[in-house]
Amino acid sequence: MRPLALFLLASAAMLGQQRNFVSCPIVRDTKTVPCFLVEYEGETYFLGIQQDITNDFHPPQLKHQVLVEGRVAPGPRVCGGIPLRPLSISVLKEVNLACNTLLPSEPGIDAPAAPRGPGPSSQRPDPRSPPREDFTGRHEFTVPFAFDDDYLEYAATQVVTEAAAYAKRIGAANVKVSGYRATTLLSNGDHLVEKAGLAEKRAQNIATVLRGLAVSNVIAEWKNEAEPGDGQADASRRRVTIVVSP
Amino acid sequence: MRRLPIVVVLVIGIVLTLSAQYQDRSRVTWIEPGSASTLPEFDAFDSNEGTLGVLNASGPVETKGHPFFTALGTNGRACVNCHQPTYGMSVSVAGLLERWRETDGKDPVFDAFDGSNCPGLPQNQDKSHSLLLNRGLFRIPLPWPPRSADGSPKHVEFTIEVVRDPTGCNTSPRYGLKSAEPTISVYRRPRVAGNLKYVVSGGRPIVLKTGTLSDVDPETGKPVGMNLMSDAREATLRTQAVDAIMGHEQAHEAPSRQQIDKIVEFESQVYVAQQAHIFGGPLAVAGGPPGLGVASLRDHRAGVLGDNDYDPVFGLFTAWKGDDYYRSSVARGADIFMFRQFWLRDATHINSIGLGNPLKRTCATCHNAQMTGQDLSAGWVDVGTTNYPTWTEASAESSELPVFKITCSRDADPHPYLGRVIYTTDPGRALISGRCVDVGSIVMQQLRGLAARAPYFANGSAKTLREVVDFYDRRFDMKLSDQEKEDLINFLGAL
Repeated sequence: MRPLALFLLASAAMLGQQRNFVSCPIVRDTKTVPCFLVEYEGETYFLGIQQDITNDFHPPQLKHQVLVEGRVAPGPRVCGGIPLRPLSISVLKEVNLACNTLLPSEPGIDAPAAPRGPGPSSQRPDPRSPPREDFTGRHEFTVPFAFDDDYLEYAATQVVTEAAAYAKRIGAANVKVSGYRATTLLSNGDHLVEKAGLAEKRAQNIATVLRGLAVSNVIAEWKNEAEPGDGQADASRRRVTIVVSP
Repeated sequence: MRRLPIVVVLVIGIVLTLSAQYQDRSRVTWIEPGSASTLPEFDAFDSNEGTLGVLNASGPVETKGHPFFTALGTNGRACVNCHQPTYGMSVSVAGLLERWRETDGKDPVFDAFDGSNCPGLPQNQDKSHSLLLNRGLFRIPLPWPPRSADGSPKHVEFTIEVVRDPTGCNTSPRYGLKSAEPTISVYRRPRVAGNLKYVVSGGRPIVLKTGTLSDVDPETGKPVGMNLMSDAREATLRTQAVDAIMGHEQAHEAPSRQQIDKIVEFESQVYVAQQAHIFGGPLAVAGGPPGLGVASLRDHRAGVLGDNDYDPVFGLFTAWKGDDYYRSSVARGADIFMFRQFWLRDATHINSIGLGNPLKRTCATCHNAQMTGQDLSAGWVDVGTTNYPTWTEASAESSELPVFKITCSRDADPHPYLGRVIYTTDPGRALISGRCVDVGSIVMQQLRGLAARAPYFANGSAKTLREVVDFYDRRFDMKLSDQEKEDLINFLGAL
């Protein structure tokens, strides 16, 4: 059998498989923005490209390992790597100087087209406000977190802001903030458990932000035990929920 | 006798003419507290690079009795001591040296409390004021641990040790870390008390860099921009003025509300910018770059993001492309600032907030606020000036500044690029927040009126704009050519 056919067969077999692992990110320069890749068990995976902070994908960082939780997606390789979608990445906190690979631009390896290049933005802001979801009654907002982290990323602040606006609009009788920490089941069978106390910290931080945004009747609670991991949707369990009740 | 070539004679003639022209215009411009004068609506002050423009947008200002120009404390100091119009509402080392000579070190600007390396030193010796005279640095004594608004100590994620103390202040039993009132002394440049509508704009409820609540104006409860001080410790111009009067001016009684009103009113209407270049001539000219000159600062809207190619940070410089040597150089410098890509690496609160490390971008990514080049969001960043190994000092042993060892606790997030043990000459924002990730983060300063107020960086380590550019070139491996450096320097000097 020819190598290409073998490769296609192997790729087809991987399609849809979940990949959870910790590794060093690799930065690949291109003619435009850099691509962020990662290697695991001899294969290269594509994580995403450099964009703005408002983008859903926040790239990993050299000098740090990254926890990758993603599903092998259909389609051709991107920047030389197999794409993972959906994907969650978490920059691990401790400095790791071994993670320091920056590959030069090479002919034939291009970043996918993107709204913003490496220079200043060329896109004028859209003056129209995005349509607000018209919530009614009791509503639950979910704030996601990276592994072992309580930092509210840009998208997470949007969720909290939205929850605050809703609570104030309806004069909520009760705003319950519930914090969780979770376990990730790695593809090699190991378990990564988020640090103790993180569920409380996440909940307290968001409760503080909500109160600072003039939301009344905020109560915070948290679950000390880490949520178990199943290796499939572990990233979604690192969260805080905000339940706004009229 | 050999005759000089005609070209040499012409050059000497031009230089002498220009020199005479600028010498004639020079005058004593240091404003002393309590003096009586009228600051005109527009004034111009000569510097080595040309002319600084100072604009009082509300019209002429009488200094007599005005609290900005009047000593309100016990040491004879007024706000104007460290925020002189001549020096872009800050103060330059050249000006301080001149003042030292003229007053034999008796000017209140050299007050023992913070105008010397440490109050306990013999105050009549210039070496006791070396950080002020060499680098333009005032002592900033900060309580340790930091305190919350209610006075309670904040949770701190690290321990701090003094490993080198050339000023003696941090190990002093009276003023130091182990004194009855534990204090850490860092040394910083006075920030520009002008163009402030830009500096205080941009207050948002949540700080992008931390995901936590912004500080709020204690009077209105509204979030503030947190770009006023190099460590963002003061929320508003009002709180800053009170703190400065109680500290820098050593007042025993708080200033009145009316005094603070007048100080803030004055600061909020004064604008400074380079107005002319010594060889390039006037900078604010019809059809020229719209962001140059002091009037443009008065007229422009604050709080606008300029990290774009259609309405960039300091406006478009296309009118000067292909013009004379100086103007072409400035226009190229503007392009370098906006478009010259390089790898931004290991800069906390830039690379660490979701943009990735490294980040392939330009100067304008961080210096993104229109007209001033500050960060539109709360702008503390560890660009590497104070933390080993990228710091501006040649070595710990030769550092004029104190060196601290920071050890972060195991349950705290470490510094993103330096880990849990950090050597620093100024922990910056971390001295206020108590957070390990903030060690070495300094709020970026505005880039206007630079030519009048050397040296640069919060630690005064860059004597010239060339040294600023060299630092960035080295820090981010920008590989700037000599021509690019010259263009950037000309551009920055024109702001």
